[in-house]
Amino acid sequence: MFERDEDVLERMIERLRQPVEMDPTLDAHVMARVSAPSGGGRFAATWDWLRRPRDFSLTPLSALAAAAVLAGLALWLGGRVARIASTVARADTAVVQFVFIAQGATSVALVGDFNDWDATSTPMRPAMQGRLWSVALPLPPGRHRYAFLINGWLWLSDPTAPRAQDDFGTPSSVVTVGG
Amino acid sequence: MSDAEIVRRVREGDTAAFAVLVARYRDRLGRYAKQMLGDREDAEEALQDAFVRAYRSLARYDDGGRFGPWLFAILVNRCRTTGRRTARRHRTFVRDDVSLERAPAPAVPEWDDTIRWALGRLAPGMREAFLLKHVEDMDYDEMARLTGAGVSALKMRVKRACEQLRALLTEVERV
Repeated sequence: MFERDEDVLERMIERLRQPVEMDPTLDAHVMARVSAPSGGGRFAATWDWLRRPRDFSLTPLSALAAAAVLAGLALWLGGRVARIASTVARADTAVVQFVFIAQGATSVALVGDFNDWDATSTPMRPAMQGRLWSVALPLPPGRHRYAFLINGWLWLSDPTAPRAQDDFGTPSSVVTVGG
Repeated sequence: MSDAEIVRRVREGDTAAFAVLVARYRDRLGRYAKQMLGDREDAEEALQDAFVRAYRSLARYDDGGRFGPWLFAILVNRCRTTGRRTARRHRTFVRDDVSLERAPAPAVPEWDDTIRWALGRLAPGMREAFLLKHVEDMDYDEMARLTGAGVSALKMRVKRACEQLRALLTEVERV
C-alpha cells in the first residue's frame, strides 16, 4: 500500500523543519572577516586571524561573543605535527576560544592549570570533518598555562605563544586574560 | 539582550558583540541556506557572506525594523547568487557525457537524499517560496517583503512546488 501523496509531502516538511546544526567555527570565520574587512579572501582573512595575536575588551554583556582568542594551530598528519598559533586576551570577564587544527586526530583535549591538567575535563569538539577542534571556556583574569593533548598521549605546546615550563619540565603555553 | 540592543552596541564600536547575533541566527539561517543550496559548504559560504554583509550594512539598517527578517533577506539574496554560480558549475559537469555513461547506477536513496533530490528538481524560485512558506513558516506578506515578489506570484510558486514535490516523492516511494 502506498501512503497518500499529502502524507509524503507532510513527512518531507516535518523533516525539513528539524533543526540544523551548522559548524560552530563559522562564528569565528565571520568574526575574523568583520574584524579584518580588507583581507584577501576568506581563507587569507581566517589565516591572518589565526596567526595574529589580538587583544579584546569584553564586557559581561558581550562575553558570550567570545573574544576570538586563538590558542593553537597545529597540523597532525601521518605522525608529524606542526605549528600552533596563539594569542592573548584582555578582559574583565572572558570566554576564551581555543582552536586547534589537527588533521587525523581522534581526540583533542585542552589541559591547563585551569582544569588541573585533567585530560578528561575539557575535550575539544571536532568540526570540518575532524580537521578543526575547538572549545570555549570562561577564564578568570590572570595568567594561565595550557597545552593540547592529542589522541590522549601527544602533548603539544603552542610555539607562537609565550612558553612556560611546568614542574616536570614539560613545555606549555601561556594565555593572559585581563590586566 | 535584544537584537536592537546588540545592534546598537556594534554600531558604537563593540565589534565582538556581533558574535552574539551570529550565534543567535546561525543555525536557523543555516537550515534555510543548506536546504536552498543543497550543499553544506555552499550553505556555509552563503551564510558567512550574509553575516559579513549584514555587519557592513548595519549603518543602513533601520532601527524600526526587526533584525531577523532583515538578515534573512540578505541571506536569501546570497543564496540566489551562490545558487546561480553553483548551477553554472553543475552544468559544466553535466556536459561530460562519457563520464555520465560510465557512472555507476545510483544506490537506493535514503529519505534525506530523496528530499534533497526532490528540492533540487524545483526551479530556484519555487524552492525558495516553498521553503519560506512551509519550513520557515512565513506568511505571504512577509515573504513578499523579503523576496521582492508579489503575493499572488508567491502563492502560485508554492502551489506548484507542492504539486511537483508530491509527484516526485510519490514516484520515489513507489520504486
